[in-house]
Amino acid sequence: MTTTKGTDRRPGPGPLRQALRLGRTEFTLFVRYKTALMYLIMPLILLMPVANMESVPVLGEYTTTDLALVGTIGAIALFLGLGHPSNVFTARREALVLKRLRVSGVPQTAIFGGVFLVVLLFTLLIAALIVGGSMALGGSMPVDPVMLVFSVVLGCSAMTLLGLLVTPFVSNAESAQMLSMVPMMALLFLSGSFIPLEAMPDTLRQVALLLPVAPTVEMAQAAYVGYDVFGGFEGAERVGFLGLWAGALPNIGVMLVWIVGLALLVRRYFVWDPRRP
Amino acid sequence: MPKTANTNAEISAPHTTTEPTVVVRDLRQRYGDFEAVKGVSFEIRPGELFALLGTNGAGKTTTIETLEGFRAPSAGTVRVFGQDPLGQPVGVRERTNAVLQGSGLMEDLSVDETLALARDLAADPREPDEILRLIGLADKRGLRVRQLSGGQKRRLDLGLALLTRPEVLYLDEPTTGMDPEARHETWRIITDLKREGVAVLLTTHYLEEAERLADRLAIMHRGEVHVEGTLGEVLAGWGDRVSFLLPSDVRTDDLPELEGAEVEVQTREQRLWATYTVREGDVADRAHHAVAALMAWAGERGGTLQHLQVRGASLEDVFLRVADGAANLVGE
Ligand SMILES: Nc1ncnc2c1ncn2[C@@H]1O[C@H](COP(=O)(O)OP(=O)(O)OP(=O)(O)O)[C@@H](O)[C@H]1O
Ligand SMILES: [Mg+2]
Repeated sequence: MTTTKGTDRRPGPGPLRQALRLGRTEFTLFVRYKTALMYLIMPLILLMPVANMESVPVLGEYTTTDLALVGTIGAIALFLGLGHPSNVFTARREALVLKRLRVSGVPQTAIFGGVFLVVLLFTLLIAALIVGGSMALGGSMPVDPVMLVFSVVLGCSAMTLLGLLVTPFVSNAESAQMLSMVPMMALLFLSGSFIPLEAMPDTLRQVALLLPVAPTVEMAQAAYVGYDVFGGFEGAERVGFLGLWAGALPNIGVMLVWIVGLALLVRRYFVWDPRRP
Repeated sequence: MPKTANTNAEISAPHTTTEPTVVVRDLRQRYGDFEAVKGVSFEIRPGELFALLGTNGAGKTTTIETLEGFRAPSAGTVRVFGQDPLGQPVGVRERTNAVLQGSGLMEDLSVDETLALARDLAADPREPDEILRLIGLADKRGLRVRQLSGGQKRRLDLGLALLTRPEVLYLDEPTTGMDPEARHETWRIITDLKREGVAVLLTTHYLEEAERLADRLAIMHRGEVHVEGTLGEVLAGWGDRVSFLLPSDVRTDDLPELEGAEVEVQTREQRLWATYTVREGDVADRAHHAVAALMAWAGERGGTLQHLQVRGASLEDVFLRVADGAANLVGE
């Protein structure tokens, strides 16, 4: 056995590679816990109201069904991001798993990054299934797939951070699940994927777009249809690549403010040790 | 005593190997109104093992948690490699590791997966195969952690702590739940680490463990250090014991008084035993003088000292005295 002295230590793998590595283990555990199955079934439940909806054309060849279908992707990020990290990080904190990782030298960002990656991966997977399914039924390719993926990244980031922020308030995984239901339900109803933003009174719609889910839902819909839907479906026009991104800027701004704010709160209030003062 | 050496180390050049890597000064730690640690100071140098012993709830784990950077001191300072460990800055976290009092393994991973994860996260890891051999779990590598026995999990905890080649190691009751063989093996591993220059902080309730491994030790009770020093120093202060069967014709009051010693009479196996505890005088020959005086006394009476025993204080004697004495103080 040999011990390396501080000065001639090799540089570490760095937080990014550590996050990717932890993401791999998170994935293994996600599948092993059988949570994966639950999260794969959930979209079906979300899609039920969509299937029963009367399909009317709104934007060119695109129907309300198409838009609702794409809108569910935002809700998936909400369920996974808020549901999964709050649950497993509470359980792991109580089992000292988080503390063990920290004392072995893994930085906070890598640990949070690992769980973010599993949320992102699964949300993208379900998004691909939804889009793929819609295409199989005669739908079209998303017009701007990059914006679609970007909206998922933004949504997953904000929701994962929100999920992490639930953990200091609870002392076991069950109460984490219960407590995360509160913001989950509130955000779901104001997300635009359960009740279309179009159907909301104007002020409520404005409020919803300042919360951290609806902006991503709107972006996903815009990305799918290629119309500038950011001011509402009515009068929305087909725009080019740059026009679409320009229209999305306010939504991106709102999401970034949320992500930075939530990240600061997580940094300040996240609890690593089950035995806190 | 280390106290003088330590002021020198602070001034001397940074490459001096004897410079302490862990320094704790007047550490206080409160939980609300309750003060769990009340002014603890110690330091640990490379290759040195410092044992923090003490009663349940004395504040050992709290002290370690502060060193691990999980909580800021209520008062006082802690330094690891000269840095404040709070929040695990990079210069500290990559060079330290720990065995936690409660293990912290991911139960749904296999032993192999656990070690592979730790290896991939570390800067300069030991190979998992080497660790498996060290901790004797090579034949369990395929099992899920939840399928391991308590002692096997404890060995895996130790293995994970060694894997990152730490220069400072915190071991919070590392051998709890291990069988005697595994414990001896662990002692061997820890001795090797010391030889390589690792600074080790150990807490344990197995006093034999501290006797074997500790270069210096402290005994804590209710947040305070009551005794500190090398094993020799600690034991010297607590005296040598000379005991013998009290002759049936001698009353307690008839026993001779010895300078620097106290006598106590106890009943064991329905007979009376006299025990002299010799605390004063030169450590090297105080027991000899006490025995000589007692033999002379017995000779004058025309008898012998039956079942004569001479022994130094054990760490257990000291520990019980600390636990007990302080408890009495509070009771008064
Ligand atoms: N969050 C907390 N709130 C209140 N008191 C606490 C908290 N955490 C620890 N304590 C108290 O601090 C004291 C010291 O605890 P600590 O775990 O450091 O003891 P210890 O010396 O490690 O004991 P043991 O040998 O039993 O492991 C205990 O009395 C404990 O009850
Ligand atoms: Mg403890």
